[in-house]
Amino acid sequence: MTDALDLSLREQAAAIAAGNVDPAELLEAALERIAERNPALNAVVETFPERSREMLAAAPEGPLHGVPVVIKDEWPLPWRAQRFGAADMLATPAPGESGPYRALRDAGAVIVGVGNMHELGASSTGSVSVYGPARNPWNTERCPGGSSSGPASAVAARLVAGAVGADGIGSIRYPAAYCGLTGLKPTFGRSAMEGHHMAGVSTTIVSGPLCADAGDCRLLGSALFGEELRQGDPQGLRIGVIRGEVSEDVAPAVREACEAAIEDLRRETGGEVREIELPELAAATLATVLIANSESLGSITPERLNHLDPELSPIGRGLLKYRVLLPAIATIKSQQLRALARRTLAAVFEDVDVIAWPAVPAVAPPLEAPLVELPSGTLTADEANVRGGALANLTGIPAISVPVGSAEGLPIALQLQAAWGRDELLLDAAEAIERGNERRWVDAAPPPARGAEALEA
Amino acid sequence: MEPQNSTDDFIAAGLAAYGIETDEIELAVIRAAHQTFWPPILELLELDTSEIPTERNLDLSRAPSR
Repeated sequence: MTDALDLSLREQAAAIAAGNVDPAELLEAALERIAERNPALNAVVETFPERSREMLAAAPEGPLHGVPVVIKDEWPLPWRAQRFGAADMLATPAPGESGPYRALRDAGAVIVGVGNMHELGASSTGSVSVYGPARNPWNTERCPGGSSSGPASAVAARLVAGAVGADGIGSIRYPAAYCGLTGLKPTFGRSAMEGHHMAGVSTTIVSGPLCADAGDCRLLGSALFGEELRQGDPQGLRIGVIRGEVSEDVAPAVREACEAAIEDLRRETGGEVREIELPELAAATLATVLIANSESLGSITPERLNHLDPELSPIGRGLLKYRVLLPAIATIKSQQLRALARRTLAAVFEDVDVIAWPAVPAVAPPLEAPLVELPSGTLTADEANVRGGALANLTGIPAISVPVGSAEGLPIALQLQAAWGRDELLLDAAEAIERGNERRWVDAAPPPARGAEALEA
Repeated sequence: MEPQNSTDDFIAAGLAAYGIETDEIELAVIRAAHQTFWPPILELLELDTSEIPTERNLDLSRAPSR
């Protein structure tokens, strides 16, 4: 049964549907594997075997019937309130049926555990959590990425074949990139979001799948979208690239691998590469941060800030208090920049089908000091990562992180972005990249994933 | 702690105006965040965005209407 856990998400689903794998045995095997591998990773912060068995017993014959999955600590479950990776989330969470839970349940999936996450979703590193940080299976001293740190670590270590994350400013794509997975940030509003404590106010956060490859993201994404993400033909793909910080101020190995992947994509699709301009990109990054941080201010009062749970990290407490000092005029101007960026992108997407640049500018940094070395100097990972991750959240477009190489024994990833509603095209393009490199990077697995081919340094 | 410069003045006065209490570690975090965010915020404030129309009925799931 251990071998079945190493199958892809779609292979597990097919094997169960064909009667070749007993889903009850698969569930028990997943729980055993979590018990075995998770102590070194801290990817899964809670399992609930009886609830999972009940979920399996009631599972409909859906496309994910009997397949174990992990869900991020960002949505409530009927038996568990989310904690948002924090001792204090400035909201009063309660157990309940969230949209992602219902989507998974209705597809027949079995939630086997809750994935760790960066405290309050506030970093691309995953280095701080009320549960302690999750660890990167490629190197447990390195950041798994955030904020969906646990889902990424769990899938990379093959505890499960698929996990649900959330992406408010790159929080699916960063951990996918650091852990060598494929992670889809859907078009805003296309994936299940009900029940999230910020669903009513956030204009940046979406749910999305983290899986080994695009085919699995297509299957899990279809459940979250409530519609089949059909495969298409990306022939003649027009690939947009830009000059500047986001594609050039990156580690040399990242730049080389991403340029090679773009060439793979061009060749596989018989497409062409076109240079584009996004003059608002730098300002858009700040605008995203300001908008995302201001959207949670409704729950903040001075009284509340003076009585934060002492178990919340000092960083979390300080950043929450700093939010009240952000000037309203900057947020208003940010909304205008958002409108400008959306109009610019709409024009750009008349000329190209996808925009490509590195998902993160450097491989996963150390957990103890999440700094990255770039041509421009040393930056915090958050400062560096947000440059490429924010635009999709600001404007609502879909984006995907695709593994395309390695350096220092750690994964490298390319990000693709497409026009609103063209999530399927991103999956098609990611599959073209997989064909172009003969699945070298999506099939590579980290040391904890036994029996899997190791990534070549 | 005595304010040492305009940044410290801004942070201390802003938090005091709201009645928000901080310890030394939180204050260090706030200073670090301010050093990161404030320069680009000042650049943003320098922009005259009055000619940029906002989107009415913003729908982030779709391209902007023309």
